[in-house]
Amino acid sequence: MNVTRRNLFRTMAAGAAAAVLPGCARAEQATPLRASAVALLYDATLCIGCQACVAACAEANGEAGDTRLDPQRRSARELNSTARNIVKIYKPVDGSPSSYIKQQCMHCVDPACVASCMFHSLHKDESTGIVRWDPSRCVGCRYCEIVCPYHIPKFEWSGINPRIVKCELCAPRLASGMEPACSTVCPTHAVIFGQRTALMERAHQRIAERPGTYFENRVYGATDGGGTQALYLARVPFDKLGLTRLGPESIPAKYLKWQKRVYTYFAAPTAVYAVLLGVLVKRWRSRTVHEAKVEQATGLRPQL
Amino acid sequence: MNKHWQRCVPLYDVPLFTRAFRVLCAFGAVACVLALYRELVGLGPASGMNDGYAWGVWKTFNIMVLTGLGSGSFAIGIAVWIFGQHKLHAVMRTAVLSSFLTYASGLALLGVDVGRPWNFYSILMPWRWNLHSPMMEIAFCMPLYTAVPLLLENLPATLDWLQERFPSIAFVFAAAEQMLRNVYPFVLGLGFLLPAMHQSSLGALMLLAGPEVHPLWQTPLLPLLYVGAAGFMGFAFVSFILLLAHLVWNRPLDMDVLCTMSRLAAWIVSVWLAVRFADLVLRGVFALAFKATQPAALFWLETGLLVATIALGFTASRQQNPKLLFHASLAACLGGMLYRFDPTMLVYQPIASAHYFPSVMELVIGAGFVALSIAAFALAAKHLAILPAPLTTWMAMERAQTIAWMSTSTQDETLGCAAAD
Repeated sequence: MNVTRRNLFRTMAAGAAAAVLPGCARAEQATPLRASAVALLYDATLCIGCQACVAACAEANGEAGDTRLDPQRRSARELNSTARNIVKIYKPVDGSPSSYIKQQCMHCVDPACVASCMFHSLHKDESTGIVRWDPSRCVGCRYCEIVCPYHIPKFEWSGINPRIVKCELCAPRLASGMEPACSTVCPTHAVIFGQRTALMERAHQRIAERPGTYFENRVYGATDGGGTQALYLARVPFDKLGLTRLGPESIPAKYLKWQKRVYTYFAAPTAVYAVLLGVLVKRWRSRTVHEAKVEQATGLRPQL
Repeated sequence: MNKHWQRCVPLYDVPLFTRAFRVLCAFGAVACVLALYRELVGLGPASGMNDGYAWGVWKTFNIMVLTGLGSGSFAIGIAVWIFGQHKLHAVMRTAVLSSFLTYASGLALLGVDVGRPWNFYSILMPWRWNLHSPMMEIAFCMPLYTAVPLLLENLPATLDWLQERFPSIAFVFAAAEQMLRNVYPFVLGLGFLLPAMHQSSLGALMLLAGPEVHPLWQTPLLPLLYVGAAGFMGFAFVSFILLLAHLVWNRPLDMDVLCTMSRLAAWIVSVWLAVRFADLVLRGVFALAFKATQPAALFWLETGLLVATIALGFTASRQQNPKLLFHASLAACLGGMLYRFDPTMLVYQPIASAHYFPSVMELVIGAGFVALSIAAFALAAKHLAILPAPLTTWMAMERAQTIAWMSTSTQDETLGCAAAD
């Protein structure tokens, strides 16, 4: 990825685009996940809402836990800059089935936040596919908060050195051979961690074993919004649980099509500039002639 | 009253340090102090922004809306230099100054708005750029536009002043002007390319927000409509400034130029509205405009203002009526401002529970930066040849200056005599 981009800039600077065009265009499309890509599988039908994962997450990330709204359970009602993982309950008033729902970063296959981030502060780890935040590149523009369809990235609203906070799938723990905190402590294995391909198989197996249990007999995140690395099984409709209804196309693929076309190799802007210059040089010449005439007539220096 | 604008003249006969000017400066100073406070305590305590509405009025008004108004240099520049509307040359200095000040104050405020501004140095490292992010495009393009084409286009007026002010080294400034003249077409070209890029990217920003922006606004044509809005807002805002300068500073009007601008703005609005409505119909969402909802009301308010622009603009130009011209330019400014403000703020609903209203401090900082740019405009117009006038005004200024010079020299002589005695 990185090398491609560097090439891209060089090409742009040199203004010689055509030679490498086909190769780079392929690389700029959503990268398919590697076999080493990891994932979470959360099965809402197994979750008992004990919030152990919420506490474990706070502990693993060195947070005290957000107690503003619920001091007893030490849990936040919404994700915020001190809560990267929360469990909520969906309980319809008409008595139809209720469900718990665990919320954390979905680690999209082609994330809107990564596509929108100006200096690649939010970036996708090449081998694991985890969406990580690089503090040395983040400007704090909060565009990621605007574009995330799941409303995951949160900003630290106080202090002079604010961070963007979201689940990074316990990447430091993974590096030292451990699993994410949430999946480690879950007593019912409602949330499990593993390679995405293996978890996808596991999910399909569960659907086959318990027909009619799961909503639409499908896994949310298989293809939704271009696919995610947090996979969900649930009894109730996904959109009731805050799992936004998205087509199979990723948000960047859907909405940035033209932006990408226009700015590829800077070709279109360069062409426009060339045309503008052609006209302007001509206009400028006739302008100087006109100015000289006015100067002669009035005796005043021409104003540019 | 109706004399042709031939030459830009400083506001030589108008006092600068009026009460209004002092109030604007004081307001700006308060805003700067509060901005410093915001840097110390963070965005939360200083503003109404939250995780639902991560962008407040600083981005959605001072950048999205005001840089639209500041597109005069782009819109009128294209009319003058590309489409050969030569008589509009007279208003170019007003246009480039208004553009520079709106952009500069917007960018300064953006520095207050972002949470980690010290990391912006990455802008100098192209290998870190995410070329396909609309935000990246804006972050690169807007400061570049302000610092290169806009600054250079404002240089001639400053160099004129320097030559007058420091006659002993006038040749330095004359040489600088000659250098600028040698590259001017290249500067102008950048001055048209860059705004087309970042004004469209401002629209592209909201594309990624997808269904969170109301369907009456969310369209793949958003980037195009944003550039179009910049077009008519630029014309309207420069007309507005010139008419205001007539009212406040008693500058002479050139109805020919103003009517041309008003007609051009009305034509751009007409085409723009046609594209907007065609898009709504083709996407099959036009029915939403007839529901009793707040977005529908905003849509009709917006449309109403722009239709008024067309009606008033053409009528004013036919009747040569300065009052109607003023109303037409105001309607176009307000309509465009509303169109720019809607998708990022008024009809942007991230989560049902999300709520935002700017805090007092946020509003004071935002308004204070605007006040500073208004004061800067007055200061510049007082000393530099910015506002257009007939040649007679220039002659009057020269006469007034000669009289002033003569009276001071007479005083000197008197003093000299007194000393000799």
